[in-house]
Amino acid sequence: MRSASADAYLNTRVSLFAGRLWPDAALDALIAADESVVTGELAHKGLTTLAPQGEQAGGSLEQRIVAQVLDETRVLIRPLAGGARDFLSFWTARFEMSNVKTLLRSKMNGERAAVALARLTPMGAFGRLDGEALAHAEDTGELLRRLEAGPYAAIVRHARRAFEQSRDPFVLDAALDKGYYEGLVARAQPLETRLGAPLRGLMAALVDRINLVWLLRYRFNYSLPPAQVYYLLIGARYDLPAARLRELAQLGSLPAVLDALPAPWRARLAGALDIPAVFARMERAGAEYALHVLRSDAPPLARAFAYLILRERDLRALRAVLRGRRLGLGAAAVRLALQRSPESLH
Amino acid sequence: MLRPEPLYRIQLVLLASEAQDAALALARFGAFSPAPGGADALAQTPAAAYREAWLEAEARLAKLLAQCGDTGALELPADAEAPSLADLEELNAWLQGVWTACLDCHDATQRLDETHIRLAALEDTLARLERLDLDLGRLLRPDSLLAVRLGSLPADNVRRLNEALALSGHVLSRFDQSGDQVYAVIAGPRVRHGEVRGLLAQAGWRELELPDELRTHPRAARDWLERTRRQVETQSGAQCEVLDGLRGRFGPRLHEARQRLALARPLAEAARAGVRGQGGLAALTGWVPQRRLAALRATLDARFHGRYWLDLREPGPHDVAAVPSLVRYPPWLAPFVPLVKSYGVPRYGEFDPALPFAFAWLLLFGAMFGDVGHGAVIVVLAAGLARRLGRIAWVGAAAGAASMVFGVLYGSVFGYETLIEPLWLSPLHDPIRMLTLAVGFGVGFIVCTLLVNAWNKAAAGHAGEALFDSGGLAGLAFYLGAVGIVASLVGAADLLPQAAWLAVGGLAVVAAFKWAETRTAPGERILVTAIETLETGIGLFSNTLSFMRVAAFSLNHVALALAVFTLAGGLGATGHWIAVVLGNVVIIALEGAIVAIQAMRLMYYEGFSRFFNGDGTEFVPLRVAVNGEQ
Repeated sequence: MRSASADAYLNTRVSLFAGRLWPDAALDALIAADESVVTGELAHKGLTTLAPQGEQAGGSLEQRIVAQVLDETRVLIRPLAGGARDFLSFWTARFEMSNVKTLLRSKMNGERAAVALARLTPMGAFGRLDGEALAHAEDTGELLRRLEAGPYAAIVRHARRAFEQSRDPFVLDAALDKGYYEGLVARAQPLETRLGAPLRGLMAALVDRINLVWLLRYRFNYSLPPAQVYYLLIGARYDLPAARLRELAQLGSLPAVLDALPAPWRARLAGALDIPAVFARMERAGAEYALHVLRSDAPPLARAFAYLILRERDLRALRAVLRGRRLGLGAAAVRLALQRSPESLH
Repeated sequence: MLRPEPLYRIQLVLLASEAQDAALALARFGAFSPAPGGADALAQTPAAAYREAWLEAEARLAKLLAQCGDTGALELPADAEAPSLADLEELNAWLQGVWTACLDCHDATQRLDETHIRLAALEDTLARLERLDLDLGRLLRPDSLLAVRLGSLPADNVRRLNEALALSGHVLSRFDQSGDQVYAVIAGPRVRHGEVRGLLAQAGWRELELPDELRTHPRAARDWLERTRRQVETQSGAQCEVLDGLRGRFGPRLHEARQRLALARPLAEAARAGVRGQGGLAALTGWVPQRRLAALRATLDARFHGRYWLDLREPGPHDVAAVPSLVRYPPWLAPFVPLVKSYGVPRYGEFDPALPFAFAWLLLFGAMFGDVGHGAVIVVLAAGLARRLGRIAWVGAAAGAASMVFGVLYGSVFGYETLIEPLWLSPLHDPIRMLTLAVGFGVGFIVCTLLVNAWNKAAAGHAGEALFDSGGLAGLAFYLGAVGIVASLVGAADLLPQAAWLAVGGLAVVAAFKWAETRTAPGERILVTAIETLETGIGLFSNTLSFMRVAAFSLNHVALALAVFTLAGGLGATGHWIAVVLGNVVIIALEGAIVAIQAMRLMYYEGFSRFFNGDGTEFVPLRVAVNGEQ
């Protein structure tokens, strides 16, 4: 498809999809609504597979949510080619990295292949790994070697080496996560140069949030030394560059880290007392920016990426609501799980 | 040949302990395609564990065969029985043990290889350190205030690690590189050395384990290296003997394992579709051709002597989407079938286009590439490459023959139009007639596709679409009317009023049908009806004109030959013949390929897309795999 028609397609698609996003109030209203209202709302937002009746379609709620995200991504990347297509496709690779972690954990626990296979999220057309063959690897070492011969070699190579030295599952997970996000940053950089501030802003909000939350978690929950904490963060040049991350990693408490952040961040995080609160506020700020990009005349790829970020945030929240309803939890407990206040974002 | 064979859905219920033998018997029978299903009362999946054990064993066997090499041709005795679940699990456990032994051996070999590489790297390192004349013993003293580590890490990680180490008061200095591995010294205060342990593991740091022998004067270190190298070479030799021993020890039993897994495969494959069961009974569900039902009963009676229950059912209207399609082709038609299946598999009950495809494709190819000489070359090439190309060579030979037939009609031999008299006419001498004929052929072709589509829709129970849709009889009426109008306007017929009524009536019926079928808001309904009705007219018109390419390519063929002769005419005697031969080679290779693709394109887009859904499921029978067949 030529560039102009591809842009027109993507812009139209994103605009149509944008109507499916959930305003906070609508999500909040769902917590105590009747079953028929929930089913109707889900159908209205193109999410019939998430309705309780959709369970017949097979798969856990998480798997159906991922299937929905993959399906929408498949529609969005249809007119794209080259780096842009690769970038949005790689964004879905997070789910496949989860599959990799599931397989590794299953191998470490000595589970049978069928048990691991049942837990994998079907990746459809985005799947690049042969789950069946990987699940039948004899042990973690063989599995890592097989993965290293596959499409995620660059990510797995470092993880395998780190794991061989320590035999620590945390080291493996952390190396895989870091490798994935550095891959995403590497794919985004040429596009940021071409598409400008909107895409860079989205990536900055995403990567900086992850880096800050990881830094706090590694430093104060896991009590890792500053040098190791810094090494585990994503190497990127957004609002929290390497020098700033090194400074932050050396600070001794959460308030000290928050005080040392750039001024706009301090304002945003004022009063945050723990890491989940920091995560929620940063995520909210990221979502506000994504919504701004979605409603602007930003390049279509940036709008598509903003939509996918928002859609996934919605689906995560929806999962909390649906699960809360099924478990019969009170509205307050579900709202707490949502980490999303009812005041309007959309 | 023009429709998939009638199938019966069968459910074979028997003792669960005999399920593997039943699946094997069905695989040997060769005409049973497993399908999901089973009565609601059969809630269990008795073959799931069997399939899982088979998959594990098969994966292990494949790895072992990759390590130990093939064990030779696989033959399965006709009376061999499939292993039970317990046998299969025992075999799986044995394969696991063998693979572990093999893996240990493989790992040991790999470790030795790595030691070789490490020693080589160590020697390189030592060579550098020798030039520095540095005593490693002093550098690495454990009681020093400065803690020093020697090791390697991936080159990509060096910058980041260096930055991180600075936070713990350490420095990194690289002194060598081999491939993507950087060799470096890390030094820092001993009191803070514990802080970097986790960091180094994360960065993939590998300690260069300097043995005591190397922590000394470089000359002594070199002696140690030589001794170690000789030791490793001895170990390598011993390891090779161990590996050869493993092959000798396990080879025969691996062959037996291959046989048993091949016998177990049918039930494992059937379990993928879903073998259901309850309380010691198992049910295999699938499809069998109607003509083989008696043979199936005979097979089951011979094997189970009445210890089974067979339920037979014809597919109902709601089953059609799930029924696989099985079409029998005569041997001469079979080579064309992959070309049809590359578009899609016909649904059960749908018209199978392989036979008309073969005739129409050959006709189009011959018409576009008519030349006795070029056709003969294609026939000779196809015959010469028959062994390498397999059955597809027959398609080439038939295309060459069609080209020769049209060559006789056009009077063309290697582009020369004067060697033989045309039996019909030379395309370049009457291009308008050629174009008219091509469009006429297109009209006939499209009429046939519309009729076949109407028949397919009626057979599938969609009478409305068969009668009133743009691809049904209403669309056909519009099309014939439109053709009649055009023919009347150019003076080829005198049917203008009748044709106009037919066209308007057909289009009105199509529009009414679209309106009735579109169930949305009124605005969208009007838009969809208008666009789809308009698309009917434009689509049929452009599809018809598309057939002008048949005439265009027949003209192009002659024109290309003329261009070659013009070029050749400007050269001397030798050059003339070289140009003629090379020109003909180009015509055969380039134009031949283009014409073959164009003929295929016409078949796919102007033909198949009109009546052939191609979304059927192929009838894939259970089979016993031999000689590594998958």
